[in-house]
Amino acid sequence: MRHVALAKNLSLLPRDAARAGVPPRVARRLDVLRALDRETHDALLEAMPEQALHLAGENEAIALIDLLCQTSAEEPACARALVARLHGLTPAVDATALRRWVLHGLQRWRSDPARRLRYFESDDPLAFASHDGKSDGEQLLAVSGELRHYLAGFGYPEFRFELHDPEAARGVPRCPTIADNELWLPRGFGQGLGSDRGRLYRACAAHAAAHLRFSALRRPAGNRPPGLTMLMSLVEDARVERLMARSYPGLHTLWGLFHDATRATSGFGFQGLTARLARALHDPAYADGNRWVISGREGFEEASHDLHHVMAFDKLARKLHVAMMKMRLAPDAKYRALPIYRDDNSLLWNHLAPAPQDEHATVVRERYELKRRPFEPSQPRPMREVQVDMRRRTRYPEWDNKLEALHENWATVIDAAPPARAAAKGGRAHRGARQPLRFEGLERIPDRSIRLRRLEAGDELDLGAAIECMVSRRSRQTPDPRVFRRHGRRRRATAIVLLLDLSRSTERFVPGSFTKVIDVEKRAATMLARALDSARDRIAVHGFSSNGRHEVNYISIKGFDDAFGAEEEALLRRQQGQLSTRMGAALRHATSALAREAADSKLILMLTDGEPSDIDVYEDEYLVEDARHAVAQAAGQGVKTFCLTLDRQADAYVRRIFGARNYLIAERAASFAGRAGQALVKLIAQ
Amino acid sequence: MIEGSSAPDRRAKMHLAGRAPVDAASMDERVRPYLIDAEPYYRAAGNEVALFRAAFARGLPMILKGPTGCGKTRFVEYMAWQLKLPLITLACNEDMTSSDLVGRYLLDAEGTVWHDGPLTLAVRYGALCYLDEVVEARQDTTVVIHPLTDERRILPLDKRGEVVKAHADFRLVVSYNPGYQSAAKDLKQSTRQRFGAIDFSFPPAAIEADVVVHESGVAADTAARLVAVAEQSRALCGRGLEEGISTRMLIHAGGMIAEGIDVHDACRLAMTAPLTDDEELAAALEGFVEAQFGPRLDSARARA
Repeated sequence: MRHVALAKNLSLLPRDAARAGVPPRVARRLDVLRALDRETHDALLEAMPEQALHLAGENEAIALIDLLCQTSAEEPACARALVARLHGLTPAVDATALRRWVLHGLQRWRSDPARRLRYFESDDPLAFASHDGKSDGEQLLAVSGELRHYLAGFGYPEFRFELHDPEAARGVPRCPTIADNELWLPRGFGQGLGSDRGRLYRACAAHAAAHLRFSALRRPAGNRPPGLTMLMSLVEDARVERLMARSYPGLHTLWGLFHDATRATSGFGFQGLTARLARALHDPAYADGNRWVISGREGFEEASHDLHHVMAFDKLARKLHVAMMKMRLAPDAKYRALPIYRDDNSLLWNHLAPAPQDEHATVVRERYELKRRPFEPSQPRPMREVQVDMRRRTRYPEWDNKLEALHENWATVIDAAPPARAAAKGGRAHRGARQPLRFEGLERIPDRSIRLRRLEAGDELDLGAAIECMVSRRSRQTPDPRVFRRHGRRRRATAIVLLLDLSRSTERFVPGSFTKVIDVEKRAATMLARALDSARDRIAVHGFSSNGRHEVNYISIKGFDDAFGAEEEALLRRQQGQLSTRMGAALRHATSALAREAADSKLILMLTDGEPSDIDVYEDEYLVEDARHAVAQAAGQGVKTFCLTLDRQADAYVRRIFGARNYLIAERAASFAGRAGQALVKLIAQ
Repeated sequence: MIEGSSAPDRRAKMHLAGRAPVDAASMDERVRPYLIDAEPYYRAAGNEVALFRAAFARGLPMILKGPTGCGKTRFVEYMAWQLKLPLITLACNEDMTSSDLVGRYLLDAEGTVWHDGPLTLAVRYGALCYLDEVVEARQDTTVVIHPLTDERRILPLDKRGEVVKAHADFRLVVSYNPGYQSAAKDLKQSTRQRFGAIDFSFPPAAIEADVVVHESGVAADTAARLVAVAEQSRALCGRGLEEGISTRMLIHAGGMIAEGIDVHDACRLAMTAPLTDDEELAAALEGFVEAQFGPRLDSARARA
C-alpha cells in the first residue's frame, strides 16, 4: 500500500515536491532533478503513478531519480528516452538491473551519441536482470592477465579483452569475436566447464593467434551467400589450425578437447553437418559415415599438401557449398561456428566492400596503380590548422557501491599540459618554511654498501684490524681492541605524492581566520617540498579538480625529478580553486604515478577541505565509497594513504575513506603546515 | 709508487702473440689441480670460439655478457680445456673485498703467514681466472684488476709490498648478466674499457635443441618442443618476467623427462615453477607447455 500512496503523492505534486507530503528525501531528489532537467522531471511525474507500483519503496524511488539525474547530466535525451520507457519495463527489471543497464549504455556508447540514444530507446534491460553479468566481468578480469601473457608468447603482446553485450534472448550463445588487438568474449563463456574453463580460454586465444598469423584478413565478402562464407570460414579455421599445430603440436590436442560433434548429437542440419566436418578435419581418428563430410575431408586432405595455397581451399569450400545446396540445407539465424572456442570469423570478411571478380587480378591492379601513380608537382596547399588536445588522458575504473562492481574506464583523468614556464606575479610567498623535518632514529634497513670498520663490537671480525692487533701485541705495543666490523643501516627511502585538493570550496576562508584554505594547502606543500631530504626521499606535488567523470583535471606542480625551484613555486602559487572533488580518480592516478617509483615505501598525503563531490554524481555515498575503494587498491599496491583535512565535520567520511588511523583533522589554519610535517614524519617512520 | 717502478722492461718481456701451447710439464703444482681433464661439451652457436682464441692470443681480457643459463660458464670451461690452461673460478658477491681476490695475512702458530688469493694464484703461476657475475662485486673491489688488465700486467700486493708480474699464461675472463643488473650495479667505465666483450644469447632453436638432446638424453622431438616453450617464454621478458626459460632449465626438464617423469610435471618442476611466483605468468607458461605437449593427460582422460 505504501507504493500506491507514494505514487499518488508523486502524481499529486506537480510543481513543488516538498508540499504534498512526499517523503522529504524523495522531494529533495526531485528538486535536484527539476533544477537539472525540467523536461525529464515533468515526464517522470507523469509516468510515475504506474511506475511507482513496481517500486519497492522510498529507496527505490530515490535510486531511480538519482539514476535519471546522472543520465541527464551526461545526455538529457537519453534520460527522456528512459522515462518514456518506464511503463514498458517488466517487473523483473529491478532498480539494480536498471542501473547496471543504464550505466553500461552510457559507457559502452560514450563516443557515439546516436547509437547511445538508440540503446536507451530500444535495447532491452532484461538481459541485465540476471546476476551473471557481474561474475562474467570478474571472470574476465581474472583470466585476462594470464591470456595477455599467453598471447604475448605467440607474438601478440598488446591484446585487450572485452565482453560482448549480453543478449536478452537466451538462445544460442554468441561466438567470440577477434578484432585488431581485441578479443571479445561472450558472457557466460564456458560456464559449466569447471576446471576446463581455462583451457577453453586458451584454446580460443590460440585460435585467434592462428588466424592473425596465417589468415588473410578482411577479404571482401561481396555477394557471396552466407552459407558459402560460413563454409569458407570453416575450411579456413581448419587450415590455420593445422598450420599452427606444426609449430605448437600440443594445440591440436587442446582444440581436440572441444570437438564433440557426432552423428547422434549433432544431426543432419547445416549446423550439425558443419560441426561434424570441423571435427573430421581436425581429428583423423574420427569416423563419420556422411558422404558430405567424407567428401569434405578427402578434399581437404588433398589440398593440404600445400597449406599456404589458399585458392585450393576456397575451391573446396565452394564445392562443399554446392553439395549443401543440393541437399537443400542452408544456415539458419541460430548458426554459430563450432566447437565453442572458435570465433565468428568476422575478422576474415569485409562485408561492406564489393567482391572483385578475381581477387588475384585486384591485387595485381592495385599494386600496379600504386607503382604507376603519376608524380604530381607539389602544389602549395593551404595548411589547415587543427587544434589537437595534447593532454594525456588516462581512464580509471570507479567503484559502484550499489552494484558492488567496478565500472571499467569510467573516469578520465586529464594531465595538465606542462606549464609554460613563466614567472608569475601575485600570490604571497610562503616564508618561514625552511626548517628541515627531523628524522631521528629511523635508520633501520641494513645496507651492505655502508661498512663500519674497527668497532668494539660487531657482527664479524675485521680481519685487517685483528691482524694489526696481533702484530702490535707481539711487538709489545698496546693493541687496538677495535677488531670488529658490521654493516651500516640506512633509512627507508620514501616516495611521496602530496595531493592537493584544488576544488572550488578551497577558495573559502578557514573558519576563524583570514586565510583561504587553498593558501593553507600551498603553505603546507611548500614547507614539505623543501623540508624533505632529497637524497633519500622523493616528493611530488600534484593537484586535482574535477568537472564530471570525463574531466578530472590533474596537474603535476612538482614532479619527482624536478627540484622545487622558483618556477615550481610560482606554479604552485598560481593554482586556484575551481570545480569539484572526484577524489577516487585522483587517488588512482597518484597511485599509478607512485607505481613507477622504486622506493622502499610509497605514500600519498592528501590535503583537502571537504567531502568528495562532483557535478554528475547525485548519490550520497557513491564518491565516498569509490574513494575508499581507491585507497584499498592503493594499499594493495603497497601505497599508504593519509589525509589531512580542515573540515571539522570530516570525521564521518574521512574515517570511512582512509581508515581509522590514517587521517588528521587540523583545527586551525596556522597549525596545518606543522601538522602536515608531523604526519609525514610519522608516516615515513612507520 | 710500486706500479711505476719498472714498466719498460716488463713491457719488453711480453711475448704474447703466437705463443706455443702451454707445456703441462712445466706447470706449477699449485695450479695443476685446476686443469680440466675431460672435454666439456660445448656447441658453438657462432664464431665465439675463434673470437676468444684471437683475443687470447693478444692477451686481451674478456667480458662475456648474456642471460643466465645460456652457456657462458660452460664456454669458459671449454676454452680452458682447449687452451690447456688451469681454470680458477670465483663467484663474486657484494661482500667480497679486494683481499678475497688477492690474498691476505693469516695467523698461525709462528706468526702471520701470507696466503695468495685466487687471483694472485692465477697471476703468479699462469691460469685462466674467471670472475663470475662480476657486477655483484663492489666497484672498489674490482679496481684491483686494473693494473692487470692493461699493458702493465702487474698485480701490486700493497700489504706485502710486492709486485707480482703476471705469468705469460695468465688470462682474465669476467661474466655478467646485463638483464638484471640495476643502475647501482654496473661496471665502472674505467673497468669496462680494458676488456673485449662477447655477447652471448640463447642459440638458434635447432642448436639449442641439439644441446638439450646431448646434455639431457631426451628425444630430439621432445627437445625441440621444450625449446619452443622456452622461446615463447622469452617473449614475456619485460612483462613481469626478468628472463625467459634458460637452456639450463631445459636440460634439467629434459633430463627428468628422459628418466620417465611426466612431461607436464617435469616442465612445471624444472621450468615454470622456479621461474616466477606470479600466478598469471605461471598460468601463461603452463599454457605454452600445453601448446607443445597438449593438455595434461589426467584431466583430459577424465573428460573423455
